[in-house]
Amino acid sequence: MKKTPALIASLLLAALARGALPAPDADNAGLILPPGFHALVVADKLKGLRNMTVAANGDLYVKTAKDGIYGLRDTDGDGKADVIKEFGSGGGTGIALRGDWLYESTDDHVFRYKLTPGELIPAGEPERVIRDLPNKRQHSAKALAFGADGRLYVEVGSPSNAYGGKKDRALGATGEDPTEFLKTYGGYWSYDPDKLDQTQADGHHFSTGHRHSTTIALNPVNGKLFVAVHGRDQLNTVAPQFYTVQDNAENPAEVFHVLTDGANLGWPYTYWDPRAKQRKMNPEYGGDGKKLAEAGKYPDPLIGFPAHWAPMQLAFYPGTQFPAKYKNGAFLAFHGSWNRAPEPQKGYRVVFIPFDAQGMPTGDYETFADNFAGKTEIKSPNDADHRPNGVAVGPDGSLYVSDSAKGRVYRIIYTGK
Amino acid sequence: MKRFAGVVLILTLTACSKQEPPPAATPDPAATAALLKQGEEIFQNTCATCHMADGAGVPNLQPSIIGSGWISAQDPQLLLSLILRGSAILGEAAKAYENDMAPQDHLTDAEIAAVASYVRSHFAGTPITVPVTPAQVAIARNRPGLP
Repeated sequence: MKKTPALIASLLLAALARGALPAPDADNAGLILPPGFHALVVADKLKGLRNMTVAANGDLYVKTAKDGIYGLRDTDGDGKADVIKEFGSGGGTGIALRGDWLYESTDDHVFRYKLTPGELIPAGEPERVIRDLPNKRQHSAKALAFGADGRLYVEVGSPSNAYGGKKDRALGATGEDPTEFLKTYGGYWSYDPDKLDQTQADGHHFSTGHRHSTTIALNPVNGKLFVAVHGRDQLNTVAPQFYTVQDNAENPAEVFHVLTDGANLGWPYTYWDPRAKQRKMNPEYGGDGKKLAEAGKYPDPLIGFPAHWAPMQLAFYPGTQFPAKYKNGAFLAFHGSWNRAPEPQKGYRVVFIPFDAQGMPTGDYETFADNFAGKTEIKSPNDADHRPNGVAVGPDGSLYVSDSAKGRVYRIIYTGK
Repeated sequence: MKRFAGVVLILTLTACSKQEPPPAATPDPAATAALLKQGEEIFQNTCATCHMADGAGVPNLQPSIIGSGWISAQDPQLLLSLILRGSAILGEAAKAYENDMAPQDHLTDAEIAAVASYVRSHFAGTPITVPVTPAQVAIARNRPGLP
């Protein structure tokens, strides 16, 4: 086989990706990490970043919220991106690689680009895989991932807090019948990834009853899809007779589920109380802070994360760079809260989720990377220096994190020292 | 800033309503202080959850209200309409943010007067110290749409 310059460059990059670890930043990029872990800034002061993915040669692809996609390449192995190119347009959130195809979503469509081995960014125009997905602004990000069946799973979120009609998010909001609404919103649909110009109607309606999820990820251990879902806001605003400011700050959980065909996660009727570990009725549907949902009607979450932390992207860790306990676990980036006000805001971190040998979460989680915000007390998201959004695992087992606030990309490595 | 261009135009074209009752000539300082205190409490309980206690909003989700044209106008009628009817009255401008503002018409005229007085004194480009009255809120509530 004749080796072209592009192929040679790709092979060199792959060798670099497997090679020695770069030197971390002296301050670990400002992060607080477990012992033996270090961090460095790969790129900084880019546009506001969303979800990300890493190619087999170590090239990073990061969505921007409002513009194109960044391709980032480190050509000399120092860990810093020395080639940064932006391509595409339309902003959005979802991004995933499948062979030489880079799939990405705006809030309206799903596109794919053909990548050329050795080249950082695609040369040609994108192909539109899915068009004209529902978009009513609120919760319009279109998370996507490939399933073990090879199909492309894409979310359409619910443009709503708790389907409270015109008074949604306000005092006295009353829930409406969501039956028709949920035929279009609040679920995942799966599609043929090689068929172009599909519409939502061409998809298989896979799951329903969730408010909004910006991440879905395939666990390679057991082939199951896992999602983290953003819980509702403003319980005390809607029903102050039942919920205090503190109740709202601690409710409901950001839930973590395994997604199966036909799953119904219970929104908008119910929410998960992380302190009581119970599913309760939303006040828009007769809840009073105590009334429980019908037992067994909806699945319990595998994990109930603290309220309002905003889970953005999930990445499984198949690597071997990190200590053995991390292998086949997952990392989840939390954007950090806004709806705990007037209580201090929380989240703003990356957590590690241990999984068992069967590929299911143990139910625990631990903070892995912290201090993105750079402050101990945060009253508003504007106070945070950085906000974790995307997370992805490199071919050498390094963990990458993107930042929506100031466009920083972090690389976290393990040296054991 | 584009967001407020249309608002400025509307404000320029909108004279004080003929129904407008004249503001009190010399507001009682103690009464004004009490009104602003009440307004601050309503703001913290009702508005700050989205706009944040410092009024700076949340990027992409809810706007900053600091220096907002809706708040900084001498005539409070546009602001009162926004509070009463929510962001639906903003039309295309509302699409700059993900979340809609629901109508806050469950608040009484006195409560809206208090919170409007507070935000005008606290977040207007140039603080407006003339209190908003319940009568002005009643006019906004009874009007079918924007002034």
